[in-house]
Amino acid sequence: MDKNDIKEYANHLMFDLNDEELSAIEKDFAVLEAQLGLLDLIDTTNTEEMIYPFEDDTFFLREDNADHIISKEDALRNAPKEREGHFVVPKVVK
Amino acid sequence: MTIREMKKQDPKILLNDAYNKVVEYQKKLNASITIIEPEANASDGLLSNIPVAVKDNFSTEGIKTTAASNILDNYVPIFDATVVKKLKEAGTVIVSKASMDELAMGGSNLTANIGPCHNPYDLKRISGGSSGGSAVLVASGAVPLAIGSDTGDSVRKPAAFCGVVGVKPTYGRISRYGVIPYASSLDHVGYFTTNIEDAALALSVLAGRDDLDMTSSYAEVKNYHEDLNGDIKGKKILVFDNVVNAIEDQTIIAQFNQLVAGLAAKGALVKHVSFDNDLMRAIFGTYFIIANAEATANHSNLDGIRFGHRVDGNTMEEVMINTRTRGFSSFIKKRFVVGSYSLFEENQERLLRKAHKVRRLIVEAVMAELKDADALIAPASGIIAPKIASEEKIDELTDAYLIAENHMIIGNFGGLPSMTQPMGFKDGMPLGVNITCNPFREQTMFDIGLAIEDLTGLKGLVKEDF
Repeated sequence: MDKNDIKEYANHLMFDLNDEELSAIEKDFAVLEAQLGLLDLIDTTNTEEMIYPFEDDTFFLREDNADHIISKEDALRNAPKEREGHFVVPKVVK
Repeated sequence: MTIREMKKQDPKILLNDAYNKVVEYQKKLNASITIIEPEANASDGLLSNIPVAVKDNFSTEGIKTTAASNILDNYVPIFDATVVKKLKEAGTVIVSKASMDELAMGGSNLTANIGPCHNPYDLKRISGGSSGGSAVLVASGAVPLAIGSDTGDSVRKPAAFCGVVGVKPTYGRISRYGVIPYASSLDHVGYFTTNIEDAALALSVLAGRDDLDMTSSYAEVKNYHEDLNGDIKGKKILVFDNVVNAIEDQTIIAQFNQLVAGLAAKGALVKHVSFDNDLMRAIFGTYFIIANAEATANHSNLDGIRFGHRVDGNTMEEVMINTRTRGFSSFIKKRFVVGSYSLFEENQERLLRKAHKVRRLIVEAVMAELKDADALIAPASGIIAPKIASEEKIDELTDAYLIAENHMIIGNFGGLPSMTQPMGFKDGMPLGVNITCNPFREQTMFDIGLAIEDLTGLKGLVKEDF
């Protein structure tokens, strides 16, 4: 893996890396790849993936009733920029 | 002093004393992100007027909740996490939003945006993380109960380094609604106390089904504190030999062996177990892939549009990129890169799916032994808390790191109840022992913990002179 790959992985998640960060991650990846290589020693043939600890059913589809409604004022309380009851973002159509 | 004994004190004095300690200790420990002046709670619940600390990734209505990250350092939730609601209903008073590793990603508390949290046993040493501030506030005697979260030992490791009890119950036992997540399939709410009685009492208060967290369990909640019984005659305890063999420090091994002999003398049936070392060495890599892949999705909402710190740009895309680039520390970005790497289509089979399969094999191997026993026991760590400015870095490809420092992640993989408590000391620094039990067998965990507490004599351990 080179710095271009690392930059692509970062940009895919909507952030950027400076040269110092790129070099540090590139260096750390050498150890990480060795640690991940240890998984290859495990035979996982016919093994199903385990996503959650338990498979018992704790989910249900609730009735489609409005619940936990928050006011517009509360919804906008933490907005970095707000005007006339809306979140403000840069113009999309210019 | 237990919470039961504290409740006999004048609540006003108790709360003011806790608040004053949190304020005074801040200069030396740096354990709080926000300190809150106490107001008496009218509830006469099980924890009436008990001062508590809450890790800063738990939403608290009207109180800043930053998760120790610059991107959230102006965020004030409009609601309480279910745990916070339960704490208030039980009568507690929150006096601190405790420091933590940024976004709960880390095991040192060095990545908090307010700087390192210091260990009260030696201020030059780390608290451990990610719930370091919570551990330190209990260890220093500021509060008797502090809430943390545990994705890969983030309660149990700092508990070991700071000499307190650290509990991570069964997955789904305590609601996670309102907790800023790290990795949803591994995240647990946990907590710290100075003794087992308080640990059992806290679970009686915090546990229970919550429809706002659809992974929370319907399993019956018991009165763990009332049913505590330290008689462990006939209890089957498995000694985790892979961990013991991976630890190089013979002082730690000697103290652990002495404790196990004590349990046997109390009538426990002790059996040594060893799992495939290749599986054990794969714990960390498996964890790192799963946790960081899940984190990338969980943190995609941190974009500066609806909340948090925004860094401006000419387009929506620029705002998001600028906000996230400046808002996350380099350490967090590295973890996100790992998550992104494992989610790229060409890597998914080789990394993420492989990790999910290895996770199953690790859990199945442990459960094959644990299902016929009561607990698995091991030293929580093979080292004392490292120095903050340590130049010694543990080799991360050795068993001393891969197994001895990461074995408690098994509790997160399998959702198993797991607890660390003080075992002894080395060079004046606390050592911890970890016990892990079958799902929803917290009562057994506390009962064995009570027997351990009796053997070590370390009930109510605090370090106030630092």
